[in-house]
Amino acid sequence: MRNRHRKAGDELRVSVTRSDAAAADEFTVPRIRPMMVLDALLAIQRTHDPAIGFRYSCRVGMCGTCTVRVDGRSVLACQTEIPERAEHIRIDPLAGLPVVRDLVVDTAPFWQAWKSITPYLVPDEDAAGMDATPAVIKPDSAERERIDPSLDCIGCAACFSSCGIASARRDFIGPAALNRAMVLVADSRDTAAAHRLDVVATDSGVDRCHYIYGCSAACPKGLDPAQAIRRLRKWRFDESR
Amino acid sequence: MSPGEAWPEPETISTDVAVVGSGGAGLMCVLHALSARPDLNVTIVSEGAVGRSGCTRMVQGGYNAVLNPDDSVDLHFRDTLQGGKFLNDQRLAWTLVNDAPRVINELETRVGCFFDRDEDGRIHQKAFAGQAFDRTVHRGDLTGIEIMGRLRDQMFRLEPVELEDVRALDLVHDRVGRLAGLTAIDMRSGRPLVLRARVIVVATGGSATMYRVAAPAREKTGDGVAMCWRAGLAVRDMEMLQFHPTGLLAGDARMTGAVLEEGLRGAGAKLFNADGERYMARYDAERMERSTRDVVARAGYSEIVAGRGTPDGGVLIDISHLGAEEVERRFPGMVQRTRQIGQDLARAPVRVSPTAHFHMGGVLIDADCRTALDGLLVAGEDAGGTHGANRLGGNGVAESTVFGARAGDTAAAIAPHRPLLEPEPAEVRASLERAYAPLGRDAGPWPFPLTTRLKELMWQCVGVVRDAEGLAEASKELDVLAEDVDRIAVPGPPEVNFGWQEAMDLANQVTVARTIAHAAAWRTETRGAHARSDYPDSDSRLRYVVQRRGAADGPVSAIETEVRDVEFSYRAPDGDST
Repeated sequence: MRNRHRKAGDELRVSVTRSDAAAADEFTVPRIRPMMVLDALLAIQRTHDPAIGFRYSCRVGMCGTCTVRVDGRSVLACQTEIPERAEHIRIDPLAGLPVVRDLVVDTAPFWQAWKSITPYLVPDEDAAGMDATPAVIKPDSAERERIDPSLDCIGCAACFSSCGIASARRDFIGPAALNRAMVLVADSRDTAAAHRLDVVATDSGVDRCHYIYGCSAACPKGLDPAQAIRRLRKWRFDESR
Repeated sequence: MSPGEAWPEPETISTDVAVVGSGGAGLMCVLHALSARPDLNVTIVSEGAVGRSGCTRMVQGGYNAVLNPDDSVDLHFRDTLQGGKFLNDQRLAWTLVNDAPRVINELETRVGCFFDRDEDGRIHQKAFAGQAFDRTVHRGDLTGIEIMGRLRDQMFRLEPVELEDVRALDLVHDRVGRLAGLTAIDMRSGRPLVLRARVIVVATGGSATMYRVAAPAREKTGDGVAMCWRAGLAVRDMEMLQFHPTGLLAGDARMTGAVLEEGLRGAGAKLFNADGERYMARYDAERMERSTRDVVARAGYSEIVAGRGTPDGGVLIDISHLGAEEVERRFPGMVQRTRQIGQDLARAPVRVSPTAHFHMGGVLIDADCRTALDGLLVAGEDAGGTHGANRLGGNGVAESTVFGARAGDTAAAIAPHRPLLEPEPAEVRASLERAYAPLGRDAGPWPFPLTTRLKELMWQCVGVVRDAEGLAEASKELDVLAEDVDRIAVPGPPEVNFGWQEAMDLANQVTVARTIAHAAAWRTETRGAHARSDYPDSDSRLRYVVQRRGAADGPVSAIETEVRDVEFSYRAPDGDST
């Protein structure tokens, strides 16, 4: 340690899983306040190892690209404050996704699952385009009350990583994609609900969920994918919706 | 490795349309190009995650479009010109206001966005500053997630080629100077690429990260403008860099500079200095906090400089008089953002500073996004002229999606008629040599302290308020910095090396910074976002400066200029316009 006279709380030790076994994996960085996990990673990059691999873009919880595991929990690095009394944190890459380098993972499996539920609106062709009129849907309609709280998914994969089934790659579409499926099935503007309900009813679908609620606990946007999965299970057998 | 080179032999890929950037402009361009011509091969080149990097994603407040029969495109046009202090390219501004409602229709009915509704079930439009009508469409206070999330979903339908984590370096020409393609690096593998394309669309976003307090995402380092500049394209209005009046202050945390959205002021938020005075009364007594961004940012800056700021160099925004519950309901994202840094917008004033936000300047284009170089289109923040001297809140995402869509239409129309050309090997080599140099050097500065130097210099000397002395100093220092950037050494492997990325970012930032400082020294008046303490008044004659790279190559190339009169093709300035 460069400065032995610093008080406890002025510095933070950070352990980072590295791809190269020979690379340094423990660092000491100055404590700033407020301090997010992203700030600790930037301090490592700026003062210790310019080549350390981690990803971020917006740093305000909107892009969903800085997701890592901090002391085992899947979180956005930019939105996770380092507790006041913490002297040490450990940062690992997300679970269930192949590591490209250090903390950077290949999110392709997550997006593959996302793609499988037909994640885009399938509108009535006559009602779509630059000259079509947006639908009139009241904000307090049953439809919107289901959809609106489930809408701000940023595709960060925290739920995927925290789900024991999805992160073990046990052929499960996973919480984020199922949440998206629920949103579209509930959307009166969409015409592909039957197809999506077929997809979520397959062996990779809703029945793989064991209701551990890791997903809903991990979501940095406060969404509740477990509830979406419960709804989809019900809707499979309920034509009325 | 090829003999004697510091990089492997580049892989060559051919495509009909290469779209550089995957924000609002880039993905709208893909949507339109592939909708018009599904047989085209369209390739996205994205430095970050596709649809999840850049700034459309970060849009909070919303999107200006005329939807209400009591509103009119003429009124939106007038607001846009008055906000831009009549420096706008009126053809572009007119295109913006006319296309915006149709793009909203498309985002809702085709792309699948769902914007907030009024009680009657029609799209809700909220109040934004500098506008005569409440016309800002939004999804809560984090609108960009909905727009970019749904555009990203469209890519699964349209299936363009996605080159994710691939950084475009330079536009390259064929032997006789026609646009032939671009050079790039796959940042995961660290290997070079040559992309041959019939049409290239540059849509990378702006460069405002070059300031100490700055709002944008990491990637916004002027890459597109710098790329075009090196290829000899002309730029305009480069001195017009917008400071958003309310950026968060969070000490050394990366969160500093993040914007608190404009809708707060639209909803009645008040600004106070550290003495508790509602200072806007001295700057714009009529519009107060709902004045345009340039005025409010300058007022805040002046208070801070005059010693009436908070100890950490800010002023205070307060909306707590609406009641905590109401603030939490209407601005949940903003409340969360402040709580995360130990403040609470719902219950108390929050410390804010002007924050570098958006570049009005950029590459000269026409209303179809064409440039002077055949086959090259530019859309979104990389283009200049739409907003003039100041952009209205809510016109940014409108610009990126409107002109992204137009670029897609144009690309689809011209790609079948443009041949695939052969990039000149010497140009490819020169581009890769520059890009790989920091990895190959044994000794030299790391990029990070140089980035800090650039941000401090721009903030101090080319910031909210400027003068001749500071600008001359900046110009000199930027030349020194450009030479230092040319000596950067980055350790580590070529694979996933963001230190290396920062070295390349910095080279582009300094290139753009030099044009900003140069144009700011030229404009000896105060207009919109460009404030000169030594020239506080506005000239009656409206002119703009077009800049081009001069003959000398290397980090400190000469800047050629041409001064033009603004054309009032639709509307002449009103008496009260400035």
